[in-house]
Amino acid sequence: MTCDLTLRDVRSVARIVNLAHRFNCRTTQIAVQADTTVIARFAFDGPDVALGRLRAQIDRIMSYEADLT
Amino acid sequence: MCCATSGPGATNLVTGLLDAMMDSVPLVAITGQVRTELMGTDGFQEADVCAITQPVTKRNMLISDVNRIGETIAEAFALARHGRPGPVLIDIPNDILKARTDATAVCEPLTYGGAGPRASDAAVRDAVARIRSARRPVAIIGGGVRAGAVDLYRLFVAMLGLPHAATINALGAAAPGDANYLGMLGMHGLKAANKAVQRADLLVALGMRFDDRVTGKPDRFAREAAVIHADIDATEFGKIVAADVTLHGDLRETLRALVDELARGHVPRFDDWAAEARLLGGPLPSDRVENDQLSATGVLDRLFAAIPDDAIVTTDVGQHQMWAAQRAQPAHPRKYATSAGLGAMGFGFPAAIGAAYANPGVPVYAIVGDGGFQMCLPELATLRRYDVPVKIVLIDNQNLGMVRQWQELFFSQRYSATNLADNPDFVAIARAYGIDAYAITAPAHAGDVIARFVASRGPALLHCACHPTENVWPMIPAGMTVDDLMEARA
Repeated sequence: MTCDLTLRDVRSVARIVNLAHRFNCRTTQIAVQADTTVIARFAFDGPDVALGRLRAQIDRIMSYEADLT
Repeated sequence: MCCATSGPGATNLVTGLLDAMMDSVPLVAITGQVRTELMGTDGFQEADVCAITQPVTKRNMLISDVNRIGETIAEAFALARHGRPGPVLIDIPNDILKARTDATAVCEPLTYGGAGPRASDAAVRDAVARIRSARRPVAIIGGGVRAGAVDLYRLFVAMLGLPHAATINALGAAAPGDANYLGMLGMHGLKAANKAVQRADLLVALGMRFDDRVTGKPDRFAREAAVIHADIDATEFGKIVAADVTLHGDLRETLRALVDELARGHVPRFDDWAAEARLLGGPLPSDRVENDQLSATGVLDRLFAAIPDDAIVTTDVGQHQMWAAQRAQPAHPRKYATSAGLGAMGFGFPAAIGAAYANPGVPVYAIVGDGGFQMCLPELATLRRYDVPVKIVLIDNQNLGMVRQWQELFFSQRYSATNLADNPDFVAIARAYGIDAYAITAPAHAGDVIARFVASRGPALLHCACHPTENVWPMIPAGMTVDDLMEARA
């Protein structure tokens, strides 16, 4: 599973990596370009159920970030 | 909101933050931090609070500029309440707190612009079409109802004559006396609620998240039912139970849309099915208790009959929490507070203190067990110091009762670390803090003592020395369904 994300808080990169570990997914790629916004590309490997859960949690992080001023 | 000092003060907040996260409670926490020049030196009481609390907050902020304190706090309050509510933490180094600023002292309250998510018209029409064609629909209301949706929820179920059940976070959502309300569902829920859900051909799940304590085994949960799922948090859709229709939006607005769409056409009635659903239950099973010993459920039955209708009840976590949830009939969800998702022992008593401050003049009862109460005994000093009129009902069965129950039923009676037979004298402890204390030791005295306790003024403790092995029934074992429901020991 690959995710191309535009984040506002670079700390979310660490959070996402930790979540992948928690769900027994392997983070196989991280590419981050951090400026005023953060462009991040992740690739994850793991069971489908775990990847689905990870995707949902990433979506939740994105929804919190969307609220930021 | 709450404040804590740096280091251990901040780390002690973690459980409360996670509790708020799990139960979608808006909370702003402000923590002190060591001064900026010490950060990274393992300074005295230094902790990386933002890193520690990242998974248990919607967001946290470390303030490094005194001029940003006001706007950051305004943003924190807005974010805590926006969308699905939750906790936000602000960490402020000591030197920033002491610094002078010319910034505006008071910031205008901040609200996030733009409309939040709103269920699409097509999804609302689809949901209503499914309701109209259903034969055995059941509504399940969850904690989302606390977002100002109580009146519309009551209207929605009433216009349909719909049988409905509540998660523990939605106790009080049903209108008082609503005969179609089947009670709490889930592991220790009422039989009628669980059986009706299992027999349903349509679930209307409103502001609830299909927690494992509700669903047990998801692939056997409500097998015959199509699912309409309404929630403010889109990540809940399909997380545990697949939904046929998703209604993404604020629950109050979603309910308004459902009611309006129903009113535009045929409004079905489900009175016959509701009557049938009610008959799936029966009285709550009681456990064996010898005649001369006090039954916790008996005490709670008497207590709920004695306390005022407008009382606020908080509970701790464990058997008493489930017995109370089975019996309580709060007038509104905001009249009942418990640690639901996290199940954090030690919640009930401090929560009652907060409720009393937020609702002056309203009677507040904290129902606690002997295990959880001992996790927050120092708060007795708070109660006395500020004369907070909280009434504590201590269900003392000399056990960590829920764990003991599981050890009895599922671990071959191999009891470990659950026996609290060496409990202290709780009445003496309360009196040592200057708090009135009452005690019930036998069923014959219960009514009289409860009456005097309820009528007393100011803070008070009611100690109930209950049977040590009374269990909570009914029970759906973890990971199973209502088909496996237990109503007594095997």
